[in-house]
Amino acid sequence: MSTAVTTLVNQPYKYGFITDIEAETVPRGLNEETIRMISALKNEPEFMLDFRLKAYQQWQKMAEPTWPHVNYPAIDYQNIIYYSAPKKKDKKLNSLEEVDPALLETFEKLGISLSEQKRLSNVAVDAIFDSVSIATTFKEKLAEDGVIFCSISEALQEHPELVKKYLGSVVPVGDNYFAALNSAVFSDGSFVFIPKGVKCPMELSTYFRINNGETGQFERTLIIAEDGASVSYLEGCTAPMYDSNQLHAAVVELVALDNAEIKYSTVQNWYAGDENGKGGIYNFVTKRGLCKGVNSKISWTQVETGSAITWKYPSCVLVGDNSIGEFYSIALTNHKQQADTGTKMIHIGKNTRSTIISKGISAGNSKNSYRGLVKMGPKAKGARNYSQCDSMLIGNNAEANTFPYIQVDNNTAKVEHEASTSKIGEDQLFYFAQRGISEEDAVSMLVGGFCKDVLTQLPMEFASEADKLLSLKLEGTVG
Amino acid sequence: MSTSVMSLKLPAEVEFNDVYLGKLLKSTQEQQLFFTPEIADWLQDLRNKAATAVVELRMPSTKDEEWRFTDLSELLQVNFQPATVKLTSDVTRFALPEATQSRLVFVNGVYCADLSDVSAVPEGVYVGNLGNLPQENRGKITQYFSENNLEVFTALNTASISDLAVIWANPNVVEENPIQLINISVGGEGPSFSQPRTLIVAETGSCLQLVEYFVSEECGESKANFYFTNAVTEIWLAANAQVIHNRIQQESKNTFHLGKSAIAQGRDSRYTCNEISLGGKLYRHNLVVRQTGEQTETILNGLTIIKGEQLADTHSTVSLTQPHGNVNQLHKCIVDEKARAVFNGKIFVPQAAQMTNATQINRNLLLSPKARVNTKPELQITADNVKCSHGATVSQLEADEVFYLRSRGLSEDNARHLLIDAFAADIIERIPVESLRQRLTQCFSCLVP
Repeated sequence: MSTAVTTLVNQPYKYGFITDIEAETVPRGLNEETIRMISALKNEPEFMLDFRLKAYQQWQKMAEPTWPHVNYPAIDYQNIIYYSAPKKKDKKLNSLEEVDPALLETFEKLGISLSEQKRLSNVAVDAIFDSVSIATTFKEKLAEDGVIFCSISEALQEHPELVKKYLGSVVPVGDNYFAALNSAVFSDGSFVFIPKGVKCPMELSTYFRINNGETGQFERTLIIAEDGASVSYLEGCTAPMYDSNQLHAAVVELVALDNAEIKYSTVQNWYAGDENGKGGIYNFVTKRGLCKGVNSKISWTQVETGSAITWKYPSCVLVGDNSIGEFYSIALTNHKQQADTGTKMIHIGKNTRSTIISKGISAGNSKNSYRGLVKMGPKAKGARNYSQCDSMLIGNNAEANTFPYIQVDNNTAKVEHEASTSKIGEDQLFYFAQRGISEEDAVSMLVGGFCKDVLTQLPMEFASEADKLLSLKLEGTVG
Repeated sequence: MSTSVMSLKLPAEVEFNDVYLGKLLKSTQEQQLFFTPEIADWLQDLRNKAATAVVELRMPSTKDEEWRFTDLSELLQVNFQPATVKLTSDVTRFALPEATQSRLVFVNGVYCADLSDVSAVPEGVYVGNLGNLPQENRGKITQYFSENNLEVFTALNTASISDLAVIWANPNVVEENPIQLINISVGGEGPSFSQPRTLIVAETGSCLQLVEYFVSEECGESKANFYFTNAVTEIWLAANAQVIHNRIQQESKNTFHLGKSAIAQGRDSRYTCNEISLGGKLYRHNLVVRQTGEQTETILNGLTIIKGEQLADTHSTVSLTQPHGNVNQLHKCIVDEKARAVFNGKIFVPQAAQMTNATQINRNLLLSPKARVNTKPELQITADNVKCSHGATVSQLEADEVFYLRSRGLSEDNARHLLIDAFAADIIERIPVESLRQRLTQCFSCLVP
């Protein structure tokens, strides 16, 4: 391996700083008392407490899943702080100016400006720091169109009926181990509601930041697009560098009614641990979209570059006739990272269609697995799926696996699945070298080309950022 | 050779982890004590080890990943007794003309010398049962039983081996004509249980072709009792050896057929498996290929044609451990009525197996709205200098293609048959035995509506 490519892949993590800020936390550990305390702290309506307690009871009966192709030491769930918030000033915040300047500075450093003047005019941001939402920009402007974009705690106060109706309707409390844990203790997250016929005038985005070294982050996102509505939503995340591992168990629920369209993009760049695998985030996330209405569409795009362990399967449940599910993914692992990611496409309605494009790149000593399910129910007449999952191996200690499950219960459905594994060949690098292109540039061009199908799906600002992120992450891997 | 008279070593009070398994094992061993009370020490030792494993194991359920789509609960409701050996009808109808004088017949896992004919087998190849194995081979036989007792049905089979089919090619012997091994299940008074066992050894530079044939005495959908066949075949290929293994399963619709083929491939060897599965109520084939030397070639072809409420499941695993391996797998399923096909193909390419070239394709054709398919092609790769790909498709007959044929004057039925035949021919044509190809094509046209 040439040194040029090795240095290209091994760029240090830029977002590893810690913000020194006074925090308000609940005692370590998890029991009914903690849950009641979180609920009380957030002044939640009664139904929410019941929801949490029900989830907690289910969680106690469940066992941590062992089927993912990842290894990690047992997590001590009693040694996690389940709620941590920057200490509030006594009175309620009226405007952005009153937010703790240390916090604003943190987000400024991350490249997320919360002051609306400086911000790109077409992106509204909800910034989440540890367990709580700090600020949401452009709220008023969005409200003019009837769009609700706020933190989920705020939604619980102001629109409890909407939250009650949709929360847990896509990912039930007992869906899986980590979803149950999230349902019991989730602290904040974003809430989006697009009313009938409205096309959301700007990109919505949430930025997640874990700061406290002993906190787990459990956020919950709920997006509802009513009949004919459409929205594009992006999510970004970073965390400081700690030697210990932090748990991130989020749940994202999307609901698309008749003719609605939701596009959900993620650029995940949690701290991935150092090259020996020390530290890093355990990213155990449940994301699921429900195409409830006819002709609805849900599209997931993800660029997964961070986290020590990723366990994530953004899924689409295609209930409405003619509904469409899409999944575009790039998962890059380096050093000792482990990723077990993919999607589930559950076809229930007639003429439903889904597309899966997954690109896995594994470098260093990492493990990268694609795990996907395509299920055609007995009533999904004329349903169609196309899946393609390609893996690229960089270095001879990396591992790439594919575990596609295909279940077809009717004969009018059509499923195609393809997978391939390749590497960056000597001859390819030589071809570039002949044309005077350095090894580094050649690698990033090859990776860029490999990922192009997915990158083109990202909203514009994100696409260039993601492309840059990929080449940074890959610095120094080949050579 | 010393023999031990005390055959059954499991004390009566042993507590089995799984009651059903315990009953199966005890009844089989009791029967063997009666028929073949004397067995060699090494075999007794092997059986004891396997029996000890069975005590700890349990029957798999749909909660086990490997058995997720194949539900054995129906099997558990039947009280199987070891099958007795009596054959009434003529066996020659199953025999292939190419192998009339190189034919072994086993009835319910027991050797039938009077029905077998091995007169045409050339010198240097032994075809027969364990009992008649030449002394020189006998000395080497123990190394060819792998003590892999993790898999419950293999352990169960090993725990009660009394006789087995042995096909042994000495170094550099080339036998091009097929050797046919007919395993017949014959029903008794009640539901019967048999455990055929086969050992195939191809020594350095040798070449063999085998037709492993699983049939039931009465064919068709008679209301006879249930059968349970638990077959294990081990194939050892030394350096440069070649084995073509045609595995044909055509048992009655009352049969639970659980089969295992374990293959070890030495350097530069080539193994071809042509697996055809037509019969059985529940069919499961575990095909496990292990590479032990460099530059091996593994070709796995599979065809499943099922209808009614049949279930056919093929789980294949190819573990590469050395560089320059070649794997080529094509598995096809034609599923009609309410049948269900399951496929799971694993290919492991660890770091040592650089320059591996592996392709795996699974194609499924669903002919009726209630037909079902569960497929899971799986690749696990840690070596970077490899070419690996896999693909899976599920579809029905293309309306366009049917229309094309109809526009040329073919009836709807003929058009469909032609397309289905073409789909199956891809595999059937890879079988190198002419009469077998014809037989399968005929058999197949009566299966497809």
